[in-house]
Amino acid sequence: MSTKGTQIPEWLKVPFAGITPAPTQEKGQDLFPTGNWRSIRPVYRDKLPPCNNACGTNEKIQGYLDLVKRGKYLDAYALIKEDMPFPSVTGRVCYHPCEQACNRGKYDEAISIRAVERFLGDLGQALAKDVVKAGPSNGKKVAVVGSGPAGHSAAYQLARMGYKVTIFEKSPKAGGLNRGGIPDWVLPQDILDREIERLVELGITIKTNVEVGKDITWDQLKKDYDACVLAVGLIDPNSVRAEGEDKQGVHYGLPFLRDIGMGTSKVKLGARVAVIGGGNTAIDCAREALRQGAVEVTMITVEANPQEMPASPEDLHDMREEGVELMHGRAVTAVLGNGKIEALQLHPAKFSGAINASPITVDKGAKPDRFPVDNVIIAVGQRASLKWLPDEFKTERGTIKIDRFGRLGDTNFFAAGDVVQLGSGQPLMVVNAVGDGKRVAFNLDKVMRGEKLEPRTIPVDVIFDLNRMNMTYFPHFPRVKQELLPPTSRKKTQQEVIQAYTEEQAVEEAARCFSCGTCNACDNCYLVCPEPCIVRDVRSNGLYKILVDYCKGCRVCIEECPTGCLEGVPELDFDTGVVRMDTAFAISPGLHGRQAQELKNLGDRAPKEI
Amino acid sequence: MATATDVKKRMVRINGCVASAQAAKYADVDVIAAYPIRPYTATMMALAQMVANGELDAEYIVADSEHSQLSISHGASSSGARVFTGSSGVGVQFAYELYSPISGSRMPVQMMIADRTLDPPGDFGSEHTDALSTRDMGWIMGWSCDAQEAFDNHLIAYRIGEDPRVLLPQMVCQDGFFVSHITGDVELPDTGQVKEFLPPYKHPYPLDPRHPVSHGPQIMPEQGPPLQLERARAMEESMPVIEQVHEEFAKIFGRKYDPWVEEFMTDGADVVFFLQGAHAVTAKFAIQHMRDRGMKVGMVRLRTIRPYPTDRVREVLSKFKVVGVIETNMGLGSPSSGGVLYSEVCAALYESQHKPLVFSFMAGMGGEAIVLKEFYWMTEKMLEVQKRGKIEKRTHWVGFEH
Repeated sequence: MSTKGTQIPEWLKVPFAGITPAPTQEKGQDLFPTGNWRSIRPVYRDKLPPCNNACGTNEKIQGYLDLVKRGKYLDAYALIKEDMPFPSVTGRVCYHPCEQACNRGKYDEAISIRAVERFLGDLGQALAKDVVKAGPSNGKKVAVVGSGPAGHSAAYQLARMGYKVTIFEKSPKAGGLNRGGIPDWVLPQDILDREIERLVELGITIKTNVEVGKDITWDQLKKDYDACVLAVGLIDPNSVRAEGEDKQGVHYGLPFLRDIGMGTSKVKLGARVAVIGGGNTAIDCAREALRQGAVEVTMITVEANPQEMPASPEDLHDMREEGVELMHGRAVTAVLGNGKIEALQLHPAKFSGAINASPITVDKGAKPDRFPVDNVIIAVGQRASLKWLPDEFKTERGTIKIDRFGRLGDTNFFAAGDVVQLGSGQPLMVVNAVGDGKRVAFNLDKVMRGEKLEPRTIPVDVIFDLNRMNMTYFPHFPRVKQELLPPTSRKKTQQEVIQAYTEEQAVEEAARCFSCGTCNACDNCYLVCPEPCIVRDVRSNGLYKILVDYCKGCRVCIEECPTGCLEGVPELDFDTGVVRMDTAFAISPGLHGRQAQELKNLGDRAPKEI
Repeated sequence: MATATDVKKRMVRINGCVASAQAAKYADVDVIAAYPIRPYTATMMALAQMVANGELDAEYIVADSEHSQLSISHGASSSGARVFTGSSGVGVQFAYELYSPISGSRMPVQMMIADRTLDPPGDFGSEHTDALSTRDMGWIMGWSCDAQEAFDNHLIAYRIGEDPRVLLPQMVCQDGFFVSHITGDVELPDTGQVKEFLPPYKHPYPLDPRHPVSHGPQIMPEQGPPLQLERARAMEESMPVIEQVHEEFAKIFGRKYDPWVEEFMTDGADVVFFLQGAHAVTAKFAIQHMRDRGMKVGMVRLRTIRPYPTDRVREVLSKFKVVGVIETNMGLGSPSSGGVLYSEVCAALYESQHKPLVFSFMAGMGGEAIVLKEFYWMTEKMLEVQKRGKIEKRTHWVGFEH
């Protein structure tokens, strides 16, 4: 008998004729490892979704949309709160750069991210106790000057890290631009009040009616606090440098809104109101003017058409729906009237260069128009008021001079928000100020802990190309629209114009998310793998595991990953110490594998030495 | 339990195809994979009737080719079913891919072969080349020479193949027409006898969703040799099982077959024919005639070619002076330039101290009958060689030489 006396070594024994336990069991893996056939290895590599990337404070938007989709609202709220202290506010006021960046916008309609954020923010407002807690105290005191978005955000993050934070606010009520720059019909005050309360709940002290430079000095801040965040915003309105701008009946945008917000406004508008400026504040002013009793409101802009205006198209649309007229290509050169405003003198004008980023050229030779009005509201931007600041920290454009980490020289002073972002090329918006406050808080913390501040060096891979995803998995599906109050009735009230999503609407909208480049535990890889070599214990993001001893690199999971988070990485990129097919034939401790290992160990030795 | 003395047997007059069908019925097969090709088709026709009449409770699957037939059989057997399939001629070869996987995964599929000459051109006659071409694929293989033996061999083969010590597929072969289409008396046993002889099929690792296992996964090169060694071992170790099963068969059914070779009138014989299958029936008549005329001729019929009983063949054939191998198969370019049996005989005899002279006859080719006078002619050739002490040539084409 030829097989007499033969023996199969232990490590090559199989139960019976190549029949093995199921390969999902470890035993089967050991018996028939076929991973060495692979030249491409599937790897879960989450990319940065474009929404997260575009968000001024890098909210984990894809993450909370996914949680909302699964009905995990509280988790979603907790996730958003990592980067955003007041989703109930930004859920109403944000100009949502995320939605402009949303890949779905190239496909059908962008996800209504802001509406979902508002849904979560309102959920958070309803909680008796917030999910966020103050960190264990580190004994350090930080002053935050200004309670607007940047100051609020910095104070919030610092409190979470264990700092004892005191906020100084010049006005009688905290909130800064959130209160003074945003009308009630966009952001009801009680919403903001609740968010300010949350700060107090975190142990933050808020001192109102304290103005830096007057009630508290630079030196006091330096002496009494370990560090300080300056988030003083832009307070002083810009002038249009028109003759007679000091006449009665001339108002400025932000103070106009602020006084209404603070409840201290004494403004009585006439029937005819002109608003000068083409930005978002100008739009808010025009719409507020209607609510303050104006009958005819005209917006006068240097921009030649609505498309050039640096404003949110939705707000512009809603404004025109409410009946505000637009007049383009005109600049105010004089305010006419006898002590009190009667009319505006308008000349044709245009930007000398890029729109909104160059001086205005006024055609003084042309015959001026006389535009009769009862009031004018000038909303052409603001500037900082920095008389209290040491000169060494002032820039030429009247902002605070900081390094790239938001720090003033080598002091423990940091600055954030509009006061540093003005003219930096960053659009001035709430979410950018929040992001700035957050980053500055983290940088401040590093300095306090004696760590070196270093710029981020990890490259960020953002998915902009739909071809990197598998679009066959996404049927076209329209955006869930938010209800709006009818224009005729809303323009006379302070009622919120845009209505909240219902729970069902929020879930439906969140479910439209592509989850660009990021695993959302859809289970597709798990289901399509022709061999059962993708495993999961529970269905949860990032918890899939590729059994590399078994995966042959067929790429099916990679091709069929809807989100594009699975990537094929050349096997040679891995230094696993495994002898692969390209060098030998086996990864198991078998004959071929051992032989290959021996060959490998020979290295560069000359043949005669061997 | 039924015994040989207390049974309801009955004699019927049926042909080989129907005998095979009857055997499948008695074996109570679970799955039948059918695809028509003459001459084995009659077996499937008979089984189709049995299933239609409710005589046999089995899945009768009409495949779309022989390849599918064997694939179905492989799957069915893997899931624990007793499987019956069959084919002839080029049909046997169309399924070739499956023979090694089936034996490699140790599935005791049974395949009935009614031999048919391979093309070209279309020739219905019997020639053993179809099945013999698969002889090294790990299937237990042997030829019957009449309907009764065909019936018996099917039951015996199931019992051997399904033995947990063996677990190998079986080809139960019969000559097309000479067995498949010629009627003879066949004793059909009592079902109790079959139950006693053939226990239900039970594979140790069937495909079962409740107990998941992998059949035939990809393996590493170094895992190949152990599996081949195991298959070789299974083939070798089936030999004592084969002998034991034949003994038990005789005990229960009363018909005793030598599992390896049938010797006919070999006592005192100097020259013998060595052959397989149906032509042995004619050979026996011829040998009786020649014996009457004083010629010392006999016959050795090989009953099982895989596993090949090397030692037994050596023992038996070493007694003679001349062995004439009747091939009934094509081995183009083979050592004898004739068929493939010659080499098998020579290999068995190589280590013998008393080597007979061996040469071969190409007879019964294309399904031609080997008539009596051809046996006489071949006997004379063998006697001439005996007298001369030397073969004239390794292969003689019978009917084409003087």
